[in-house]
Amino acid sequence: MLKNDFEPNIVAFLCNWCSYAGADLAGTSRIEYPPNVKIIRVMCSGRVNPMFVVNALQQGADGVLIGGCHPGDCHYVQGNYFARRRIAVLKKLLEYLGIDERRVRMTWVSAAEGKKFADVIKEVTEDVRKLGPMQQIRRTNTW
Amino acid sequence: MVDQKKLRDEAKKIITREDVKYLVGWEKGTYGFQMTPLFVTSSDDVERLVFNPLCIHNLAVFPMLEEKLPLRKGAHEDTRKIGVVVKGCDSRAIVQIIQEKGLEKENLILIGVPCNGVIDPKKINKRFFHQTKTDDIEEDDKNFIIKTDGKTHKIPKDELIMDKCKTCEFPNPVIYDIFVGEKIKTSSKPDYKEINSFEKKKLDEKWSYWESQFEKCIRCYACRDVCPLCYCKECMVDQLNPQWVRRSVNVSENAAWNIMRAFHLAGRCIGCGECERVCPAGIPLTKLNKKLEKDVLELFEYKPGIKAEDKPLLSIFKPDDPEEFIL
Amino acid sequence: MDELIITKNKLKDVINKIKLDYTIFAPTNVDNIILYRQINDFSEISLDFCNSKVPPKSILFKQTETMFKFKPGVKAKIESIDIPNSKNVIFGIRPCDAKSLSILDNVFKDDYIDPYFVTKRENTVLIGLSCTQPDVNCFCTSLDGNPAGADDVDVLLTDIGDKYFIEINSKKGSELVKTMKDIFSNATTDDKKKKQEVEKKSKDNITRNMKTENIASKLDKIFEHDFWKNISLKCLGCGICTFQCPTCHCFDMQDETTLKDGARVRVWDTCMNPEYTIHASGHNPRPARMNRTRNRVYHKFNYYPKNYNVIACVGCGRCVNDCPVNIDIIDVINQAREVKT
Repeated sequence: MLKNDFEPNIVAFLCNWCSYAGADLAGTSRIEYPPNVKIIRVMCSGRVNPMFVVNALQQGADGVLIGGCHPGDCHYVQGNYFARRRIAVLKKLLEYLGIDERRVRMTWVSAAEGKKFADVIKEVTEDVRKLGPMQQIRRTNTW
Repeated sequence: MVDQKKLRDEAKKIITREDVKYLVGWEKGTYGFQMTPLFVTSSDDVERLVFNPLCIHNLAVFPMLEEKLPLRKGAHEDTRKIGVVVKGCDSRAIVQIIQEKGLEKENLILIGVPCNGVIDPKKINKRFFHQTKTDDIEEDDKNFIIKTDGKTHKIPKDELIMDKCKTCEFPNPVIYDIFVGEKIKTSSKPDYKEINSFEKKKLDEKWSYWESQFEKCIRCYACRDVCPLCYCKECMVDQLNPQWVRRSVNVSENAAWNIMRAFHLAGRCIGCGECERVCPAGIPLTKLNKKLEKDVLELFEYKPGIKAEDKPLLSIFKPDDPEEFIL
Repeated sequence: MDELIITKNKLKDVINKIKLDYTIFAPTNVDNIILYRQINDFSEISLDFCNSKVPPKSILFKQTETMFKFKPGVKAKIESIDIPNSKNVIFGIRPCDAKSLSILDNVFKDDYIDPYFVTKRENTVLIGLSCTQPDVNCFCTSLDGNPAGADDVDVLLTDIGDKYFIEINSKKGSELVKTMKDIFSNATTDDKKKKQEVEKKSKDNITRNMKTENIASKLDKIFEHDFWKNISLKCLGCGICTFQCPTCHCFDMQDETTLKDGARVRVWDTCMNPEYTIHASGHNPRPARMNRTRNRVYHKFNYYPKNYNVIACVGCGRCVNDCPVNIDIIDVINQAREVKT
């Protein structure tokens, strides 16, 4: 069986208070996770506009991950609840258009869950690796 | 059918009030089966007001097109009320905008009319090629009776009616100040058969269908401009700092535009079908928007544009919203 | 002018012969809408139509055109691109659309010669197809147009039953036809008579009339009139009229970049958009829809005629057919004439 040497590009929008801190903890605890993820820190997962997700997929991301606080623990009280609704709707829309909804993932990772963060990244990277490069709405930049 | 004289009398009563700027209704258009929006500013204009199955436009878009222009020194803003004639679907758009605080009910006077379905301009133009003018149009239970060039044509409603009207759940307006006509009894349920059968297709098939549709898009933004619910002061595609969607026309940017517009209408689109009617490239936009309407109903048990006191979909949440997709 | 005929069943051979040296754009049926697209085979052509949805100006004045590429950085490098100069044929263009290309020539060949448009224009041969069944909103005859006129095309085909009557109007046209001399035959006086009958029948079938004499000077007098406010109340500012119009030519320039490279791109723009005239200071000289709707009418019927002596409208009727709220330019101009000054 040929080794799949496609390295997916994953863009992760992590909320400052929980999931970003969780990623930080994974780093300081020297837990290894795939380097495919590129992290963008936002103050809250509720800041994530679906436009960010679509734009990331256009610019070359093969997968997008949104990380937020556990329900009830949002630093801004409700942001993660709104994000949950938005991403649910977005995933269904993308699936309907023929873009695999497994490319857009969401996770609750708290500041203490360094190991969970690493596991999530491993899982998402492997899933997206199996899906292959995102081609449908990718910008071709061939002027 | 709506009594035209009663409609005009009510309109006259409204336009002669001191606190009303204008009333928007419909009048006969300039050719063929066209109707066109009419702005009644005095009682002289009232005679031109009509309502018939050709009145397809969603007039709820006009209150949102009011412009706040810079005023000369000493001049005051014109804050008089606006009157609108609304069918069932149009009234839902008004309710949805009121929910989002885009309009205040006190600034509107709504004449509600019952509607059994409007005629699809594409279907009727195909039937009557090169029609310069028409004389009259009436309907009975099952047919449209169209009088043109001295001849009378009786055509079954099913052949001419807009597809969206076949599954209409709101033939009577959900909000109005004055109601002209008789309430229509209906027991329609939402119909998502077409959406369901499309969902069952394979991923590749779905994308190749939508790719061929998005290739046709010329980014004229008519869908956005005719939609009563697209009223952002600066649309995301016009934003340059940062620029989300490039202005060049290709599948990637067209797809981004259509995806984001459909998403921005999630839980807000009331299915009037105007976007699909005006699209010059014939992209099946109602297929896209209806899918979100179905999802929002299934995921969150939410229907847009029913009661003005409800809250918009994405501004509320339930603690037990579905989250099986979350890791 | 050379006059020839060809039987309808030989048209396929003509296309196959042209295909060897030229890229052919012809009307095709895409999901029940007629669009001019590049074709590779005669079977893709659809000749049963009034007019296309998007005018064929989109072949010469592309909606998205790369002007040049660059590599960003402290020492940015600009690379000019090769403007495609392949030989093209637009087959089946209507006389009104062909006239619009002559109107666009004024803009792109004025004091600055636009290489992107002009290169393509010079390398394109127009094979026109006369209208035998004008649509309800066609009004080319009000603007010195002719549904079966050969003025702006290189070769004109007119359907006279089982044959096409062919008029060759230019050197480009005769060079194209020279290579296929054996497929054509000379036209007889009978054929010519039939063509004139078809031409007359087409003109008679155009029922709508726009009164255009001295319209520019009439418009000069009513610029500040309330008439424009009433007309523009309905206008949604959607811009469909500008996208469908064969003579509209406004454009925007955008720089598109990735981190490593980029290009400057010219894209169609529309004056109906409020952002069209917004200044960097935030001031907008056309803040209201009324200003923009009025400007569109004036550009076509007042400013352009003053500059180039021709009304920038060819009477194709696309804007009348597609306006979502039935703003009818024929009606607007006829009403404007009646406005009391």
